[in-house]
Amino acid sequence: MSASFGSALHSLANYRAHNTRASQEVLEKGKLLLNSNAASKLGDDAWAFLEQLALAAIDVAKYDVADECIRQLAAKFPESPRVDVLTGIRMEATQPPETVLKFYEELLEADSSNAAIYKRQISVLIRTGKIEQAVLKLSEYLDTFYSDVEGWVELAELYSSCNQYTFATQALSHALLLAPQNPFYVLQFAETAYSADDIPLAVKMFMLAIDTVDRHTSDESIPTGVSIRAWYGVKLCCRVLSERSCSSASETPLPKNLNLLDELATERVLTAYSAGGTDNATGRELVFSWMGPSDRSGSRLHFVH
Amino acid sequence: MSSPAVSLYLDPQIRDWVLFPITLVMILVGILRHYVVLLLQSPPKKLARAAIREQRALIRSQILRATSANSPIPPSYYRSISSRLAAAFEAGTYLKDGPSEGDAPSTPANPMTDPAAMDGMMAGMKTQMVMMVPQMVIMGWINFFFQGFVLIKLPFPLTLGFKSMLQRGIETPDMDVRWVSSLSWYFLNFFGLNGLYRLILGNDNSAADASQTMMASPFAAGANQPGQPQDYVKLFKAEKDNLAFAEGLYSWMGDDVETRLLRKHGKL
Repeated sequence: MSASFGSALHSLANYRAHNTRASQEVLEKGKLLLNSNAASKLGDDAWAFLEQLALAAIDVAKYDVADECIRQLAAKFPESPRVDVLTGIRMEATQPPETVLKFYEELLEADSSNAAIYKRQISVLIRTGKIEQAVLKLSEYLDTFYSDVEGWVELAELYSSCNQYTFATQALSHALLLAPQNPFYVLQFAETAYSADDIPLAVKMFMLAIDTVDRHTSDESIPTGVSIRAWYGVKLCCRVLSERSCSSASETPLPKNLNLLDELATERVLTAYSAGGTDNATGRELVFSWMGPSDRSGSRLHFVH
Repeated sequence: MSSPAVSLYLDPQIRDWVLFPITLVMILVGILRHYVVLLLQSPPKKLARAAIREQRALIRSQILRATSANSPIPPSYYRSISSRLAAAFEAGTYLKDGPSEGDAPSTPANPMTDPAAMDGMMAGMKTQMVMMVPQMVIMGWINFFFQGFVLIKLPFPLTLGFKSMLQRGIETPDMDVRWVSSLSWYFLNFFGLNGLYRLILGNDNSAADASQTMMASPFAAGANQPGQPQDYVKLFKAEKDNLAFAEGLYSWMGDDVETRLLRKHGKL
């Protein structure tokens, strides 16, 4: 019996460490522990376990388990802001959003520096579709807690969902400042700039994303993941730029050697699709046919293979 | 002079009733002090949101400046963020109490009048007292009862330079340096027991750092604690200049990215 407890505890701690959202498994293993009252023998680990179990139980709508966990936690830590957050999440599950928002508002009045409550409040606002209020709250939150990268990305996504692409790029620029090493944010910036019809900026940012990802690879390597998508972006921008003259809201200059760039982008994307086995043959056909007619510069591309 | 014939013979009673008690008392007092300090520590104060915002405003511009020579964001974005921050620093938007009215001279608040600052200082003083009072009592106890006692003979020879360190309280110029007086034994313990405290109480105990914090005055210790009043008006003004410098250094990574890529893939 104790061996199974040990393994259950071990895998639960593993889930916690890796932030795995395996709610059903957590609940099954956790209920075993909760019922046998093993939590009391755990020492200080018990509280982290109870929090984990509560969240998992809310996830799969076993509210009685969650209530039991929260009750134990609240008894141990009466004033804890972390338990407040848990209580709030529990309320979100069953109560109307207005009640929950009011609860959060009261908590914030008592302690205006509780970042987690802010985030819960914003998530409720987003869930109920009050994007305008959510954007306001989120900007207010980020004004204080500037270094929250995910917050900036979330703000950018909110703006994008309202077609406010210029504002979205501004929010993303803060995320870029905070995490300059993350190519996904660069890529997202580029795509948002493309949507905002700032093509010169977009092509630059696509290239920056490639530059960030491929900095340490050789020039012969096959592009993968982020860099394929970014090469596609470069290709798309080059095509748009060759078709019409584009103005840039950010006054970004057009890249030099646009023809060469177009050629290179085509070559890179085709390399990516030529490398695979036969399983993506149809996809390859489509890519080849999409790439083909763009070649208006006259110089036939030398296809790799 | 230090031939075996004139050597001292120590009463074993001194070992049992002086040497060991002093050591034991010092260890126990160290452990006790650790727990008293734990009791005295007040939970960290919660800052209001405005105060956090004020503290972190500087970080914003530091983040912007950190990458300015190789910035990931395009020039127009950089300039708008930079100028907005500079304007906000100038106007004092981030100050806890809002922008200052008129041109009142910005004097740093007197820490004695600010209750929050007083709390921080009092906490520092309390721990200092817990550090100092027991040490003074023990030293008084040793001086009163065991003044001039020779407690132990070190098993290795030492040069004359150690005489003042090892024979404090005994004014005999001719005695061998290897004999240790009671007061010197106290100091040896005081500085030497840190390792033992670490073994008993763990690494971040408050007994071990007694000998280090003894040197600092309570007021100096209070000064570098977080939550002390800092003159943010001045800090913001300085940060504004830094921003201007950083803008001079600014260059965008995207400026010649196409050349880099084309060159890497052999197109140029």
